Amino acid sequence: MSKRLNRRDFLKVTALAAGAATATRIAGQAAAEEGAGAGRGPQQWAMVIDQSKCIDCGYCTLACQAHNDINPDIQWTRVDPAGQVDGKDVYLPRPCMHCTKAPCVDVCPVNASYYRADGIVMMDYDRCIGCRYCEVACPYQARSFNWKAFDGPNPAVPDWGQPEVPRRPRGVVEKCSFCYQRIDRGLVSGLQPGMDADASPACVAVCPTGARIFGDLNDPASNVSKALKSHVTYRLRESLGTEPRVYYIPADAQAMEG
Amino acid sequence: MSSKLRIRLPAPRISPWFAWLAVLGMVLLAALYAGAQVFMNGLWVTNLTDLVPWGFWITLDLSSIALSAGAFTLCAAVYLIGLKRYQPVARTATFVGLIGYTMAMLALLLDIGRPDRFWHALVYWNSHSLLWEVTMCVMLYLTVLVFESLPIFANFGWLRQRLPRLANAMSKTHHYAPYLAIAGLAFSMLHQSSLGAVYGVIKARPFWYKPEMAVLFMASAIVGGISLTLFVSMVAARLTPKAKINDALMERVAYFVAWALVGYLYFRAWDVLAQHYTYEPGRTEGLELLTSGPLSFNFWVLEILLGAIVPMVLLLTPYTRKHPFWRTVALGLVVVGVITYRWDTNLSGLLVVISYLPGPAAIKYTSYVPSLIEVISGIGIIAYGLLAFSLGVRYLRVVDHRLTVEETKTVEVKSGQTIPA
Repeated sequence: MSKRLNRRDFLKVTALAAGAATATRIAGQAAAEEGAGAGRGPQQWAMVIDQSKCIDCGYCTLACQAHNDINPDIQWTRVDPAGQVDGKDVYLPRPCMHCTKAPCVDVCPVNASYYRADGIVMMDYDRCIGCRYCEVACPYQARSFNWKAFDGPNPAVPDWGQPEVPRRPRGVVEKCSFCYQRIDRGLVSGLQPGMDADASPACVAVCPTGARIFGDLNDPASNVSKALKSHVTYRLRESLGTEPRVYYIPADAQAMEG
Repeated sequence: MSSKLRIRLPAPRISPWFAWLAVLGMVLLAALYAGAQVFMNGLWVTNLTDLVPWGFWITLDLSSIALSAGAFTLCAAVYLIGLKRYQPVARTATFVGLIGYTMAMLALLLDIGRPDRFWHALVYWNSHSLLWEVTMCVMLYLTVLVFESLPIFANFGWLRQRLPRLANAMSKTHHYAPYLAIAGLAFSMLHQSSLGAVYGVIKARPFWYKPEMAVLFMASAIVGGISLTLFVSMVAARLTPKAKINDALMERVAYFVAWALVGYLYFRAWDVLAQHYTYEPGRTEGLELLTSGPLSFNFWVLEILLGAIVPMVLLLTPYTRKHPFWRTVALGLVVVGVITYRWDTNLSGLLVVISYLPGPAAIKYTSYVPSLIEVISGIGIIAYGLLAFSLGVRYLRVVDHRLTVEETKTVEVKSGQTIPA
């Protein structure tokens, strides 16, 4: 492997360092309470989504709803039509961006949104007061409010998986967590998130075309590091400076089926 | 039915006071029912959505706080600047402020998804969140208002008779008025501006993302808050002999409101004008909603023409300013203008949905009309405010410009000397 520091690496390292520095400052008490800000931990989880491979089957949304026991009215990850390339339909799956400089973390009046040391933007559902300021602030519409209590069976269970986290009560905001529970349990069992399906987010594990790639930005051998090195990628609404941890490989007509 | 049995009922004499209480009581009952629906079923009974998560209640909340700004402004004028003769007006403003902030609290309790956790902001601090700062300042300022209002509650006849010593002690907090005014000024300036900044720091919504938000919210709160205090005082004085106003005092404060409106309108005009130049995705669309879209009647007619220009002219013209009717109309219009500004600001930012898809920003629009339950429960909060004020006028003499503070002064008197009056 080349030792040369290319521009992407440089930007990544700079972004991470800047993210760490900023998060340390911004997270304030959150950092003090959680022990670390975004970008501090040994692993930095990220997702790369290859738009050439997404066929809008919606499996990711369903698996997510089963594994995270989500109200059918809510989608943590959804698939949007995103125009055409050479007459072929292109889609854009949208989970939470897990921004390194997350507006939701900044605005939350009670620190219910916070950074984990591994970069995941987490929700503390026991702390959330349901003011919905984070929904107003999120540039990606990645947050959903529990307008209604979710009682009764989850239509996505058991076909798309079994619930792994407690159901959220009425009146709190929720969002994609990169399936932190699968990552944490997987790491304990010696699995590698991004490589082993059981330790990867449910959407990554279920995707039939392999459009979603997950892994550690700090590990040069991880799937995401390799994908970022070998492809031109972009992130959503980059001009806002939120530094998302979800990267997209734009659709390439030649790489697409049919 | 035979009409042999005739019962002669004495002609019921319903006093206007009783009728007023009955109307408010009915509105409050309906609102209690609506509020119970919200608490039992959750917020899906509203028309709020994930795209428009803030609506009617947040406007009520923001307006209640803005229109309470007369309290800190007039208390600062009286106790810090030393304009002592306005003390009776500041007294009314303090009571109006206390009502306004409790109204805001009620609206917030309805609006947040977990009202049982309202205290979380006091325990789990996020000092980077403007909403946290607003919550803390509002709580602290409400405490200040309670202390500032103690001398007013000491006027309650029942209390004076039954617990004269407590009433006396409550009266004495008045001696701390200057210190309370300093605290009130600090907390109010912080959160009145921060409420604008709550919107002003949201980079994802370019229509709001500007530093003027804080300044405009502050300026409009001062104008609107003083106007509401004068307006309710004048209306009360017209309706009941329990309220006594000094019309010359009202006129002077109204004259200040007129010039404050000039200043506010200047800032507001440049705020709107400057945004017209160059296209900025999201911002331009928000402005279009306001100036030529569904909110344009609100903006041009209610906020700018009736809410600012007409009252400014009415209050700057000596004839209409001195005329109690026109002065009351003008002050009421200012209040309408401030409420409209809050409503429009919230909606023009939320109704524009900026796509996160790559490429040139695609703009879509959403819509919001409050549900009946939102409106009824909101009107109930207003009814609570009116009830509290009416009781205050009747039993605490909150609008009584003949009342002056007992200014005790120790004078050394030699034997045989006469004390000058």
